[in-house]
Amino acid sequence: MSSDLPRRVEGFERMREVAIIGVGCTVMGKFPERLPYELGAEAARAAIQDAGISPRDLQFAYCANLYGGMVIGQAVLGEIGITDIELTNVENACTGGATAIRKAWWDIASGLYDIGIAAGVESITTSPMAGKLITPAKGDITGELGMNMVARFALSQRRYMDTYDVSLEQIAKVSVKNHRNGCLNPYSQYKKELTVEEIIDSRPICEPITLLQCCPSTDGAAAAILVPLDLAEKYTRQPVTIAASVLKSGDYAFRWEDMTFSDMTYKCASSAYEMAGLGPEDVDVCELHDAFAMNELQHYVELGFCKRGEETCLLEDGVTDLGGRIPVNTSGGLLSKGHPVSASGVAQIVELVWQLRGQAGERQVANAKVGLAHVIGGEVTGLESGAVAVHILKV
Amino acid sequence: MRARVPFREGLFEETPGKGSLIGARCQQCGQIIFPRREACLNCLGQDLETIRLSRNGKLYTYTIVHMPSEHFEPPYAIGWIELPEGVRIFSQIRDWQERHLKIGMDMELYFERLWDEEDKEVIGYVFRPSTKGGGI
Repeated sequence: MSSDLPRRVEGFERMREVAIIGVGCTVMGKFPERLPYELGAEAARAAIQDAGISPRDLQFAYCANLYGGMVIGQAVLGEIGITDIELTNVENACTGGATAIRKAWWDIASGLYDIGIAAGVESITTSPMAGKLITPAKGDITGELGMNMVARFALSQRRYMDTYDVSLEQIAKVSVKNHRNGCLNPYSQYKKELTVEEIIDSRPICEPITLLQCCPSTDGAAAAILVPLDLAEKYTRQPVTIAASVLKSGDYAFRWEDMTFSDMTYKCASSAYEMAGLGPEDVDVCELHDAFAMNELQHYVELGFCKRGEETCLLEDGVTDLGGRIPVNTSGGLLSKGHPVSASGVAQIVELVWQLRGQAGERQVANAKVGLAHVIGGEVTGLESGAVAVHILKV
Repeated sequence: MRARVPFREGLFEETPGKGSLIGARCQQCGQIIFPRREACLNCLGQDLETIRLSRNGKLYTYTIVHMPSEHFEPPYAIGWIELPEGVRIFSQIRDWQERHLKIGMDMELYFERLWDEEDKEVIGYVFRPSTKGGGI
């Protein structure tokens, strides 16, 4: 695996450990009357309040967004009194929020800054994408020929069901589990239990994916405040350490042998485990990219939670349920909590911080010490996918 | 007759009743790529041989789309077709309502109208289940 390790700079071991001292997010949902910067400002304000700092303490910011337009980070932070700092807007499709976390991690770890904010903001309802399937960038060849994000995963799902004899009922059970979890999360877009039959009988979007196997269109925002671990105790008695932060772009599709197995996710997770000095067996709680129900089953394998062929057992035996060995998507996941594209990577971190601090309420995982967040996204002709990120948090 | 224009230059060569997708084979590492590039995407070798890809392949996977796209009204079928060269081509699939699609089935390349643009007919490649029998 040595070739898959992140390229380490000289003195990597001397880099500072980084901790999260404050998190916040909006309720996820459809808010046509709320502008993107208002959602972002609400999340940033919540994270700042949670950290117990003044907005003026922040030295730098990253703000992820896909459809909000020019310099949205400045609009978000300008709303709450933060100006005249180093502020970078980030776009990396569904991985945008995780990219913001990763970049903020690096700015602290390297010693450049001592306190900063990573935010993600998305308002699909007020964007030109409202009511449409998300497609690749204009002029992309597969996009021109009819590709969209649902189709991209429907193509994988058809092959997956056919090759590995996985049924639609088994796939639908992912959505059942995550919607059940969403009922316990006050920030979730949906708080409604679903049955396997309702999911399978909902209208087809891209066969065999039906509506209720898909994440909804979501507006929302999330934010996190990062500091060096050795300064964290100044702010909180419950710092959450970032044990690993890995971001990768997709490789060429001609090297992608099996469209039912995400090589990107596997490589990214392997690097993250290596960086954290932890393994999949150490993970107590996980938020992974369940944009479509079948994604979750495939990611169990790529993240090392089980071997190929065991993923449906993991689900059906309740291993990934609340109360199981590795509860997955306790927030409700993208399927129920919602998928505010660029905010999702940060929202996953918010959920894990709450879990690791023991603040997750009815969906609390007992004694959770290690959490893993995974997002993947972006479609472009010739690559497996755009970008993938894995973060491992610990207390 | 309306003008026929390819949806993208350089991807294929259409000759009356026939034609092929245009790829490249790297003389250094053997990698076959589609579409053609200036250098090999695998080894960055500069010595590329232009090749005409096979017109027949097997259906790797497919989906029926029930939402509109920029150019296509639902329902329409798309899929990945694996060519004997090992290259997978993303394409519209035609005749899917008449022929039951199945992973592994033989597929055949055609060139036809994809959509209209003003007074022009935009042409591209599509695949349909092979009529020559064979199967899986």
